[in-house]
Amino acid sequence: MNWTCELTEARLSDYLDGLFQPAEQSAFNLHVNTCERCAPLVAGVAHALGGLYALEQVEAPAQLENAILTATLGAPSWRNLRRWLKSLRSPRFVYSMASVAATIVVILTASGFSFRKPKLADLHPATIYSKADRQAHRVYAQSAKFVSDLRVVYEIQTRLNENDQNPATREQTIPQASPNKQPGRTDNTNPSAPKQQNRADETGRNLRVLASQFPVLSGSIGERRVP
Amino acid sequence: MEQDAQLVQQCLQGDGSAWEELVRRHTRRIFNICYRFTGNRTESEDLSQDVFLRVYRTLGSYRSAHGGFATWMTSVTRNLLIDHYRRTKRDRITDSLEDKMPAVENKESAGRRPDEQALLGELSGQVQSALTRLSPELREAVILRDLQQLEYSEIQQVLAVPEGTVKSRINRGRIELARILQHMGVRPS
Repeated sequence: MNWTCELTEARLSDYLDGLFQPAEQSAFNLHVNTCERCAPLVAGVAHALGGLYALEQVEAPAQLENAILTATLGAPSWRNLRRWLKSLRSPRFVYSMASVAATIVVILTASGFSFRKPKLADLHPATIYSKADRQAHRVYAQSAKFVSDLRVVYEIQTRLNENDQNPATREQTIPQASPNKQPGRTDNTNPSAPKQQNRADETGRNLRVLASQFPVLSGSIGERRVP
Repeated sequence: MEQDAQLVQQCLQGDGSAWEELVRRHTRRIFNICYRFTGNRTESEDLSQDVFLRVYRTLGSYRSAHGGFATWMTSVTRNLLIDHYRRTKRDRITDSLEDKMPAVENKESAGRRPDEQALLGELSGQVQSALTRLSPELREAVILRDLQQLEYSEIQQVLAVPEGTVKSRINRGRIELARILQHMGVRPS
C-alpha cells in the first residue's frame, strides 16, 4: 500500500481514534517514520490532543444555578412559595390536615363546644378545661357504673351455673308436693309456676349473698326489683 | 437520559422542582462548553444563562424520540454560541489589534513554574488559548468530540451536518490546533 503525506493529513483522526485496518496501519507507520513532514505533524497533533484531554472541567460559578433559576422560575421567595403551595396538594399533607381537623373536632366536642350555637367564650381555655373536666368525670362515673353492673351480672350468672351443676342444692330448692293437691290442678297457694318460683327464690337468695359480699354494690343491687 | 426525558415531562406539567433538577444536572456541562468556546468566564456565565432561558422557553418543542435531552441542549448551546460569535466578531477584531500576543505571556510564565503540575496547568492554559483561535466551525467540532466526548452521530445531530463533514472538521480542527500551539512555541517534548 502506497501512503502519501496527503493521506496522513486526511486520515490523521482515524489513526488517532484507532480506526485503521492492519494494512493501513503498517503503511502509515512506514511512511510517517521516514517522512520529515509527517512525523512532526503526527507528534504535534498527538500532543495537542493530549493537551485537550488534560483540560479539566471548570467549575461553574456558584451563583450561576441560582441566576438561571431566578431568570426562569422567578425570585427564590416566589419559588419557595410556589413549592410550598404545591406541597399543599400532596396526599401526605391532606391526610395530616384531615387528622388534625378530626382531632380538633373531637376535643371541642368533648369539651362541650356547641357547633350549632358557637360562642367565643366557649373557646376560652378555662371554659374548655372546666367543661372537659366535668365531661371526663361524667364519663368516668358512667364507665365505673357500667363495669360494676357487668360484674354483678357476671356474679349472678356464675351462681346460677353453680346451682344448676350442684344436685344437693337443687334438691333443697325443689318444692314439696301438697298432699291435698290433685294431679293436674292447682290449689292457688303458689300463683307462679313451680319452676319459675324456684328460680326466683334462688336468684333472690343469690342477690342477698352478693349484697353481703359486696357492700359497695348493695345500693345498686337494692335498686333491682327482686322477683 | 430517560430520567432527563421524565424531568422534561414533569417540567411541562408545571413542576418547578423538575426544572431545578435539570438545571442542577446540566449547568456544569453547558458552562464548560461555553467556556471552552469563548475562553471567558463572564461571557460563559451569561451564555449559559441564555442557553437555559432558551431551553426553558422551547422545552415543549423537545421530542425524546429524536434524541437525548443532553444532545438537544448541546445543539441549543451551539446555536447560541455561533450567534454570539457572529455578534461579537467586530469587537474581537478591534481587541486583537490592541492586545495581540497572549502567546508571549504564556512563554514567559512557562519559565517560572518548573514542577509538572504547574506545567500541566500551563499547557492547559495554552491549549485553551489555542482553542479560542480556531475557526468556530472547527472549534465546536473539536470541543464536542475531544472535550465533551460525544459520538460522531451525536455531533452530527448537534451540528446538523453529514457525518463525513463532522469527521473532516474534527480532523482539520485537531491539525489546526497543533499548528497554533506550535506557532505559540508549545512543542511536544
